[in-house]
Amino acid sequence: MKERAFAVELKIPDNEAYTAMRALQRLGVEVARVQRADILVFNREESDERLGEIIERDERLFNPNKHRLERLLDMHPRAGEVWIEMLDAPRSAPLRRLVGWRLFDHAGNPLGDADLDAACARLLCNPAIERAIR
Amino acid sequence: MKARVAVLVFPGTNSEEETRDLLIDCGADARIVHWSEAASLVYYDAFVLPGGFAYEDRIRAGAIAAHDAMLDAVIEGAQAGKYIMGICNGAQILLEAGLAPGTGDIRRPTAAFTHNAQGHFICERVLLRRTVAATRCAIAAALPENLLIPAWAAHGEGRLAAVPSHLEEIENGDFIVFRYADVTGATDAHFAPQGSALGAAALTNREGNVLAIMPHPERDAWNFNHLDRSEGNDPLAPSGGSVLFKSFVTALERR
Repeated sequence: MKERAFAVELKIPDNEAYTAMRALQRLGVEVARVQRADILVFNREESDERLGEIIERDERLFNPNKHRLERLLDMHPRAGEVWIEMLDAPRSAPLRRLVGWRLFDHAGNPLGDADLDAACARLLCNPAIERAIR
Repeated sequence: MKARVAVLVFPGTNSEEETRDLLIDCGADARIVHWSEAASLVYYDAFVLPGGFAYEDRIRAGAIAAHDAMLDAVIEGAQAGKYIMGICNGAQILLEAGLAPGTGDIRRPTAAFTHNAQGHFICERVLLRRTVAATRCAIAAALPENLLIPAWAAHGEGRLAAVPSHLEEIENGDFIVFRYADVTGATDAHFAPQGSALGAAALTNREGNVLAIMPHPERDAWNFNHLDRSEGNDPLAPSGGSVLFKSFVTALERR
């Protein structure tokens, strides 16, 4: 089976992302915009199209009035992005749920590695229970 | 003079009034202090962080509140030896702030009260027993040995979790002040209704002046909390959970 990842992101204003941005700024991280997404990683046989349908039909995962769905081409976070996963989440589950944070600087560029490391260490990841995937 | 206790309120806190009322009943001069009034905290002898959903549990339960300006004063107070008690969401905040178990740096958590093993919110009456020496945690020192304290476990994220080396440190360092117990007083991990590691219900720090307790003793503190009036007919008479608050205030009076 091949792993496929999807991002479920709010298309309405994301208060949680805004709160995270303001908290990071208070902690000294030079971030100007934060995007948050639920990252759904499937380890199942179905086609991409079928997996997309499964997500869109499950109201626990997706609300068409609030969310947009994106099939991620890569199984790794993008530049300026970190995925947070619970340490005790089963790695071989047919569906893994992670939280993706994408951070951008004042020029609109993805945040650099050092700032992203700082954001994880200071706020986004509690290493006692979570791991940050870069 | 009565001990001055600040009951801290963040956006989303929801148990501040019963927490304050119980502290007053137990003899403290307790007042509610909102997050915008952090500068006033210097005038208080102790702090209590009540339950709720501070900052809507954004990012993680307690994560944003742990970095609030109000926590600067709490951290400073804890380091100066003031007594700090966090209940439920307050306990989550203290762990996120690194004040309990306090085995790492400030605001670098080494443990968390996180998602219940069953994956959903629970609400049930539980029994707690102190499983450390009375001298280990000043806040719980006045409790009689082997007393069973009733409280309500009402949380979706009450399971103690940490990496194995930190759990070992928590166990060996006597950081677990209360564990979940059965009616005989026996403690065992399987009495923890949410699968909390080591059967832990409450943690302290190295110095013993911080207590992070997940279940709510203040929700089993007066007879009116018992719908069957099983502990008497006077609705305002104290009941089981009040003893922990009494111990907290006694500790303040003994200083």
